[in-house]
Amino acid sequence: MADKRESVRIKDGQQLRILDEAARRRRQRKALEALEQDNFSEDPHADLKMSKKAPKFEEVMETASTSGPKKKRKSRGDFKLRYRKSFAALLEEEHMLNKDGPSYVTACAPPSKFPDRHFCAVCGFPSAYTCVQCGARYCSVKCLGTHQDTRCLKWTA
Amino acid sequence: MYLLLALQKALACQLSVPSRASSYPLRPRVSSALSTAAQSVTVEIPPIKAVDNIQATIKPAELNFKMATLILDNGAGTAKVGFSTDTEPRIIPNCVTKAKNVRTRIFIGDQIDECKDLSSLYYLLPFQKGFLVNWEIEKQVWDHMFSKDVCQVDFNETTVIVTEPFFNFPSVGEAINEVIFEEYQFQSLHRTQAPTLSCYKHQKDKETSGSLFGTLVVESGYSFSHLVPFLKNKPLKEAIVRVNVGGKVLTNHLKEVISYRQLMVMDETYVINQMKEDVCYVSTRFNKDMQIARLKGPLNTITRDYILPDYTHIKRGHVRPPEDSGKSKGDEQMIRMNNERFSVPELLFKPSDVGIQEMGISESIMHCLSLVETELAPHLLNNVLVTGGNALLPGLQDRLYQDVRSMACDDYDVGISTPKNPITYPWHAGCDFSLDPNFPSMCVSKHEYEEHGHNICSQKFNVSSTSPS
Repeated sequence: MADKRESVRIKDGQQLRILDEAARRRRQRKALEALEQDNFSEDPHADLKMSKKAPKFEEVMETASTSGPKKKRKSRGDFKLRYRKSFAALLEEEHMLNKDGPSYVTACAPPSKFPDRHFCAVCGFPSAYTCVQCGARYCSVKCLGTHQDTRCLKWTA
Repeated sequence: MYLLLALQKALACQLSVPSRASSYPLRPRVSSALSTAAQSVTVEIPPIKAVDNIQATIKPAELNFKMATLILDNGAGTAKVGFSTDTEPRIIPNCVTKAKNVRTRIFIGDQIDECKDLSSLYYLLPFQKGFLVNWEIEKQVWDHMFSKDVCQVDFNETTVIVTEPFFNFPSVGEAINEVIFEEYQFQSLHRTQAPTLSCYKHQKDKETSGSLFGTLVVESGYSFSHLVPFLKNKPLKEAIVRVNVGGKVLTNHLKEVISYRQLMVMDETYVINQMKEDVCYVSTRFNKDMQIARLKGPLNTITRDYILPDYTHIKRGHVRPPEDSGKSKGDEQMIRMNNERFSVPELLFKPSDVGIQEMGISESIMHCLSLVETELAPHLLNNVLVTGGNALLPGLQDRLYQDVRSMACDDYDVGISTPKNPITYPWHAGCDFSLDPNFPSMCVSKHEYEEHGHNICSQKFNVSSTSPS
């Protein structure tokens, strides 16, 4: 009898895949990046623009506003290339040029002096517990169930 | 002929308000007609008599600066644009939009108002994290704004004020110079920041009630929130604090939360943003509100049913009146907003709730005060001005007051004010600023730009010398 007895918790615990610190940070970073996203989906008409049949709107604009002197159309081509710099590239440049003195980097608010608050990832109310596997917060068994069914290790944002 | 018409308009305008004619410079279009008449030979010169009439009514001092002035508060979310003579600016979404069901065209700026179905819009934004990076898109929006559909700008006779964020990257600033002078051929340019303008107006409006030594402008916009301390009108660059939470983060967070808990709305930025503006508020008693939100039935005074638009029968999302709450009828889609109503704007005060390891805006105020001279701190504390779109969140000012009051030294007074329209306030400030006697000297003219290039711009538009002190 005795050898048949086993702890469910210990057995489950051995099977659990627990996300390590680095993976949790990676998830957190992805979640923050998602907050900066302009769009969730891809451009629905990305391919449409390529079609030669579709009227290009810029051209309509151009003809509509030619009341004044004719604009230099030549500069338009390199216009796009000349100024196209991503935010990361700009930040890099700033870093090189402006090492001391107030800048974009130094103006950022420092971490708060107050402790973090924790809210249930499922229902949004204050939470007391942390998911063992992924580190998300939950407040009740019900919410933990939902969390495990939907996001815990399945969620890839 | 256009000049003549403008002249007549101005004359009529002056006749109707003779008393103001001396205290205000003329309608810019008219006066610009004068300047071109003097400078250029290609323009049809209006009859001498009309010119004489006008000159008789303006004082010599007003003659030295008489261009039309366009004010462009170029926010990452919306651009506020209009001539200094307009009473209100046009608020133009600073983006190009594509609609799912409209395959034939794109919508530039406020053309989106022509679109009937605002579901699943795809946004092309010129700004990234608050900085102008995509000129291809910005050019389209600006082309639209300057065209006759919106402002009808006569570039050769127009001075333009363009706003940019604090610590704008030099190459972005140079790009603005180039585009303004070389692409559009504006006559002159002044680049500044929205809080600098706001401070100027605030200072000017309050001047009668005692001079203001310092102002702390809290500008909470689309991409981020800036806290900018001013000594008189001079921004103290070393003490500017930026919190990387703005309206965009709030909307995206709300989208994420609703999509997980209720209904997939990740593609509905427009609809959810509208919902945020309709039902979200800043709580002044966060824990109490959390408790109320837990309650069921009529005891829960926080929960709201928000009916989503379907763009066939329901053209706009709205809150269902509490009396007919319950099951949704027919096929209308509904979102039940409960703790989301206040926990989403809460990110402004506690960015760490979603893992952004930064101080919230009230704590940042205190941090900002610690960076300035001790003598200045009480002045700033007593004169906080909140602007930007997030200032429209109900309760924001009260919460800010409450937080700052609890953290600040008891001996100091805390004064926080919000202008009537916090979104257009910097634009109106720009109007006032363009009438400032020192304004012309702070502009770079096209000629100067051609002569000295970006150098003169960076000298004149330096962040700590943009405003008169």
